[in-house]
Amino acid sequence: MIIVKNLRYKYPKNKDYVIDGVSFEIREGEIFGFLGPSGAGKSTTQKILIKLLTGFEGEITYQGRSLSSYTNEFYQDIGVSFEMPISFSKLTALENLRFFQRLYRKTVDLEPLLRRVGLWEDRNKKAGEYSKGMKIRLNFVRALLNDPKFLFLDEPTNGVDPANARIMKDMILEFKRRGGTVFLTSHIMGDVDELCDRVAFIAGGKLREEGSPRDLKLKYGKRTIRVEYRENDELHTKILPMEEIKNPDFFKLLQEKEIETLHSGETTLAEIFIKVTGVRLRD
Amino acid sequence: MTNLTTLIRGEFSRLNKYGLFKANLVILLVWIFLVWFMESEALLRFIPLIFLMDSVMMTILLVGATLFYEKKEHTINSLMVTPVTENEYLMSKIITNVLNSLLTVFIISLAVYLLKGVTYKYWLVIPAVTLVSVVHTLIGIRLSYSAKDFTSLLINYMAYVFIFFLPSLFAQLNLVDQAVARFFILLPPEASGLLITSGFTVTEPWKIVFSSLYLALLSILLFRFVVKPQFIAYVMKETGV
Repeated sequence: MIIVKNLRYKYPKNKDYVIDGVSFEIREGEIFGFLGPSGAGKSTTQKILIKLLTGFEGEITYQGRSLSSYTNEFYQDIGVSFEMPISFSKLTALENLRFFQRLYRKTVDLEPLLRRVGLWEDRNKKAGEYSKGMKIRLNFVRALLNDPKFLFLDEPTNGVDPANARIMKDMILEFKRRGGTVFLTSHIMGDVDELCDRVAFIAGGKLREEGSPRDLKLKYGKRTIRVEYRENDELHTKILPMEEIKNPDFFKLLQEKEIETLHSGETTLAEIFIKVTGVRLRD
Repeated sequence: MTNLTTLIRGEFSRLNKYGLFKANLVILLVWIFLVWFMESEALLRFIPLIFLMDSVMMTILLVGATLFYEKKEHTINSLMVTPVTENEYLMSKIITNVLNSLLTVFIISLAVYLLKGVTYKYWLVIPAVTLVSVVHTLIGIRLSYSAKDFTSLLINYMAYVFIFFLPSLFAQLNLVDQAVARFFILLPPEASGLLITSGFTVTEPWKIVFSSLYLALLSILLFRFVVKPQFIAYVMKETGV
């Protein structure tokens, strides 16, 4: 759906490129995670993709046509949810949404959306009186109100309580099942792991790694089995190569010992993030 | 409904909800109160001053205040990822301010007529106020680009007044040679004042034509070469995507 080839960008007053030769593809109907530490070029890439930044080098095509050739009609197709709360504080949530709704040709019924994210009862409350979590949910509804084909979500569940984050993640997955495509950035690796079909890691303006979370976990993980068992009231740990899983000694260990935990050596996306970008995740 | 209509409706709705419209109305009531105590002759000197202040000062401050709120609440980010074009966005600011200034003209003119029976050349005043509001909305937007907050907008505004209004004032006080003062018509506030005053006094036609063309040209140049090209850079500063 979006193909980015050798994207390079530098801000007018800077000498160095903040994006330096990045190429990737976002396929129709997938959730694509774009991950990286602050200042890595993630936000700049997203600004370019949503046509807020022009003057880039390289090639970007959206549905087979150069992104630059699209007029503002492009925005009829997409929904953008920003990380920071965005709303006219003195207008009610409903007034905010209705204002934006009038700018689109195609829109959805707001009631089911607001009910789903738990804001219907507070629809007539001024947005400025909302908590941070409520404002983020309002952002999310705003991104969906034009029934987009493509969603750009920046830290969509950051600052949202776990119950509502669950609802939002379910809505993102439902959007995908209906054929929608998502470009997602998040520092919550659990969400990325759960939602994304493929992820790309960017650091220092360059793409460091790309693949499905599963493939990356296999690539960066250790092909080992770690077994913790108790013997004579003492905890023992045994790490075996994956190849030895069919070895009779391994079965004997499982049968004879009091097994407490059993883990494969696959790694987590958080560990891959640190390894690939060289930067620790913020809390 | 077109995007432009939606944006203008949104502007008026927010002017109302954010209390800016009320502030404007309070000032209007103060003007009407003052008008009540004035004689007809004094009125014809005072009303152009009201219209000039409204279409210059209030216009700059109102557009500055709306841009300040949009920056503070990051709503400009959301607007820029909708089908709204830069032209529509900027035009909505201009049209809202023009309508606001014309509302002032309407209310003051009605009050003056009902209270004092005074009339003037509306056919000159209305286009003059429209033109002055357009220029000063664009100046207000430009001043807002380089303002970090509302206080710095006020400082920018004071600097504008100091640089562009004072020469005219010095000329009126005969502190500047008349040969030099002739060229002050090139200062936007001077040309604006001249154009608005033409609805109340006899003004040389060439001055009306020149001021009109000058302000119209200035509007086009400001829009084309200053306000629009710098708009994206301004939005980018606010966009923390």
